[in-house]
Amino acid sequence: MRGIRKAYPGVVAVNGVDLDLYPGEIHALVGENGAGKSTLSNIAFGEVKADAGTVKANGSVGLVHQHFELVGRLRVWQNIVLGREPRKGLRIDEAAARAMVTALAAKNGLEIDPDAFVEDLPIGVQQRVELLRELEREPTVLLLDEPTAALAPAEIDAFFATITALAKRGTAIMIVTHKLQEVIAYSHKISVMRHGELVAKLDTYSTSVDDIARAMVGGDLPPVAEREPTTLAPCLTIDDVTAGTGAARADGVTLQVQSGEIVGIAGVEGNGQTALADAIAKMIDYEGVIGLDSKPAIVPQDRHREALVMSWSIVDNAVLGRQHDPGIQKGLLLDGTRARRDAEAIKERFDVRAANLDVAVKTLSGGNQQKIVVGRALIDDPKFVLAYNPTRGIDVGAAALVQSRLMQARNAGAAILLISFELDEILTLADRILVMYRGKVVGNFTRAQVDRAAIGRLMAGSAA
Amino acid sequence: MKRALNIARGPMVLTLLLVIVLMSIVMVIAGTTPWEGFASLLSGTLGGPREIAETLAQTTALLFPALGICLAFRAGLFNIGAEGQLLLGGLTAGAIGAHFAGPGWIAIPVVLASGFVGGALWGALAGWMKSRFNANEIISTLMLNYVALYLANYLVSGPLKSPVATGSETAPLPPSVWLPALVPDTRLTVALLIAIAIAVLLQFVFTRTVFGYELRALGEAPEAARRNHVNIGRLTWLVMGLSGAIAGLGGAAIVSGELHRFNTQLSPGYGFTAIAVALVGDLNPLWICLAAFGFGILEAGGLAMQASANIPEMAIHIIEGIIILVLAARRYVTTRVEVPAV
Amino acid sequence: MTQSLLVSLLVLTIIKSVPIVYATLGGVISERSGVINIGLEGMMIAGAFTSVVISNLVTPSLGPAFGPLVGLIVGVGAGAFIGWVLGVAATKFKVDQIVAGIGINILCGGIAGYGTFLVFGLQGASPSVPALGGPNIGFLDLHAGATALLVFAFVCSMGLSWLIYKTPWGLRVQACGENPHAVKSAGLDPLKSRLRAVTISGALAGLGGAFLAIGELNLYSDGMTAGRGFIALAAVIFGRWTPWGATGAAVFFGFFEALETVLQGHVSWLPADAMQALPYVAALVALAGVTGRVRAPAADGVPF
Repeated sequence: MRGIRKAYPGVVAVNGVDLDLYPGEIHALVGENGAGKSTLSNIAFGEVKADAGTVKANGSVGLVHQHFELVGRLRVWQNIVLGREPRKGLRIDEAAARAMVTALAAKNGLEIDPDAFVEDLPIGVQQRVELLRELEREPTVLLLDEPTAALAPAEIDAFFATITALAKRGTAIMIVTHKLQEVIAYSHKISVMRHGELVAKLDTYSTSVDDIARAMVGGDLPPVAEREPTTLAPCLTIDDVTAGTGAARADGVTLQVQSGEIVGIAGVEGNGQTALADAIAKMIDYEGVIGLDSKPAIVPQDRHREALVMSWSIVDNAVLGRQHDPGIQKGLLLDGTRARRDAEAIKERFDVRAANLDVAVKTLSGGNQQKIVVGRALIDDPKFVLAYNPTRGIDVGAAALVQSRLMQARNAGAAILLISFELDEILTLADRILVMYRGKVVGNFTRAQVDRAAIGRLMAGSAA
Repeated sequence: MKRALNIARGPMVLTLLLVIVLMSIVMVIAGTTPWEGFASLLSGTLGGPREIAETLAQTTALLFPALGICLAFRAGLFNIGAEGQLLLGGLTAGAIGAHFAGPGWIAIPVVLASGFVGGALWGALAGWMKSRFNANEIISTLMLNYVALYLANYLVSGPLKSPVATGSETAPLPPSVWLPALVPDTRLTVALLIAIAIAVLLQFVFTRTVFGYELRALGEAPEAARRNHVNIGRLTWLVMGLSGAIAGLGGAAIVSGELHRFNTQLSPGYGFTAIAVALVGDLNPLWICLAAFGFGILEAGGLAMQASANIPEMAIHIIEGIIILVLAARRYVTTRVEVPAV
Repeated sequence: MTQSLLVSLLVLTIIKSVPIVYATLGGVISERSGVINIGLEGMMIAGAFTSVVISNLVTPSLGPAFGPLVGLIVGVGAGAFIGWVLGVAATKFKVDQIVAGIGINILCGGIAGYGTFLVFGLQGASPSVPALGGPNIGFLDLHAGATALLVFAFVCSMGLSWLIYKTPWGLRVQACGENPHAVKSAGLDPLKSRLRAVTISGALAGLGGAFLAIGELNLYSDGMTAGRGFIALAAVIFGRWTPWGATGAAVFFGFFEALETVLQGHVSWLPADAMQALPYVAALVALAGVTGRVRAPAADGVPF
């Protein structure tokens, strides 16, 4: 790729990037959220057209997306052969397709059931389907966007075994990731992006996690607020709660969160966290008891769909979820002045970068949007906060601010249940760490007892 | 919070041009030149006080259902049943009005209220089906249109049939129940003022009330609304009920003000034209008043063309259909923004 | 006496369900590809009106065998054209599909209404026109041409089922309706697939309308489609977006239409209006009974 440039309204996503990928090499593309990595890989794949620059590939390019592009209601083999279906006259030759899929999986050391419906598969297996689909086309270049985001540590090892074997067979591989430990362990070359530009080209053997992190941020990482001593008191009790259906349900979860502490739930995506969160938020039915005597403040995992009305202004979004609160609802009316005051307060305290309070939130960056969501959740000094992936997909600066505010809320006596797919986040913030696997709580650690390796094993389903 | 009309300026201009072109074609086919055609259209609809009154009467008939549709559409509910709701509102008003003995200042509100209730029931029925069974409201409101027609037909041919008239209609309403006319001897009544008042009220509801806030959230971000203490089930049937009620009020206004009785021919498709009116008005109650006036000219002009050149009313539907199609494209023109993948 | 009543009920059910079957198959293929087709009613009107006009036009020169046939074909073409218009609106202009469908219905109604006046000089209905002919099939009381169309409707149902579930084209259409991004990743163009699917749905609906006009009734009149296009949509949902399910649902609704005709004059305690309202009430009840528990194609109605 030479001189790649791509701009969207309001932001230059990629600004003059040169990148070369060689066969047999695993090249890591790192950068914080919003740096332009995903955009660059979409351009390399051809899904997005660059405004300037050239892309040349010696053969075809495959891309395994971060958010899988599979058809849940179709079977595995149908997803894999889509567009290149083996035929028998006018119809699809189903037997040939199935055989082909099984052979392909074996060749790459992956286990898969060709007849399973994709939507029934756990996320780690779904990713295998997406990977196989790209491999079916025998690309010379394979791009992978955040491939291990939803994998347990053991699955990650297996995944990289497959990728390394693929590289040895001559494929050029680029992995877009922010997991620096994996970069150090498995890649050969590293390119660092920041604000759309390529700021560093590193050899994996001669660099370290800290070097990479510093290049990503252009300095040291902003600090998170200090942890202070607090007095604990009971706040939330969850007793044998079962919610949701299928593989991703919560199954007999028991836990407590006290005021003045942050309880973190670690785990790979798809192990019942969403069902638990929805049960606490009273969005789904559940069996068991959830004891909480105040209204929970929720930071949902999907700000676009669940927390904001994207076409509305900051002012209007500031009272979403609070429209019935006394002080905001006056009889039949909504107090617009109060809404504006609250929006102003959020903008102040959370450093929301916006031209004014009346712009539509969809014009703001992900980090600013998330700051509004968290700011709104914390504005009424709630006794209990449920934060689900509160820093997902936002830049490091915004993430540090959000984490600081959560810590400050905890210091002031709030009870916080933090669910995150980023183990680092849990380790930074939590006073106590639980691990969820297949819907159950399988591990319970205090800060003092933290053992990263043990937690990793529990996340993957092995004994501690 | 008021949706600015200027963001859709492109299609609006295009729409206006298309309307003019199409009407010119119709005029040419009918044997006049566009120049003559438009001249007679304008003089026939705006040329004098009687003509303007008739145009405003058509405006009123459109404005009621358009406001009801606006309310529903803003909440993301596709109420296509305004025609049936209007009909049932008129039916209830006619039935009650024919037998209500009392002085005007009680009788008129009672008759209007019964139209309101009749339309409300019909709308709430579809709303209930949606919130209880998740039944697609497009299909249910459409089906209810037909059911309303047959129900009304049955009632005015049988139990409610007028003892004095020959056709299928209710007994005539006593003059005490007639809405006072704004311009004597025309079809224009105070209903116009009522409709405009409702428009202003609706705009207030949208911008200043919690109910309006929640229904807008439902329309623009249903999942976010669900997770933020908006009672979607209740809001659905409430909005559909109110939407039907406003349309029903329109039916009552026609019965009480123009026809002075109810029969099933009371609406030449106002409930459907009102959809175009609501869209042209950008789903903003105040702009809808203006749009209703524009369509009022078309409707009055259509009637005039039918009378003079024997052109069927259906011709107007061609124009309306194209307007709706062009405005459906509004989404393309205004919001085609690439979103960067982060 | 009752037995012949039952037989005529059965026969009439099949006949009455034919237009709905065609329309609902159109609805299935369109929604499976991801486009909500509210405009089925308008496409039926297009098919009905065009076939009447063309049949009337060409029969004098082509004769009573071929004239209506040409009318039929052109009617199907008209329906396909309107389907194509919706498809372009949905794929190229990414419009709100529901609003566009409503617009199409009103537009087609208007064109047909005005067209009746222009072509025949009448308002509201056309005169009788040459219809699909052929020998009368005794127990069906239908001409051979119409009977062929009747059989063809169910053939189409089978064919569509095979097409969707067994062929590459069908697989791609399914994928388009569930996740068009996956289709794009596979190197295909979901927009083209959607456009084709909607055009076909228009053709099918047009065929249903043509059957109504020159197969069954031999004329065009305002409102003759009577909401069948919408009942067809209810049938799509009731039939869970499968060709056979939708066909079954269409026959179910056709039953109520047939019931009304058969019971006329025999049952005096039920008012005529109530019987006429039966199909619509049936659709309402079906909608209430089933929609909570079924899933539309995931990307249905979502512009890509």
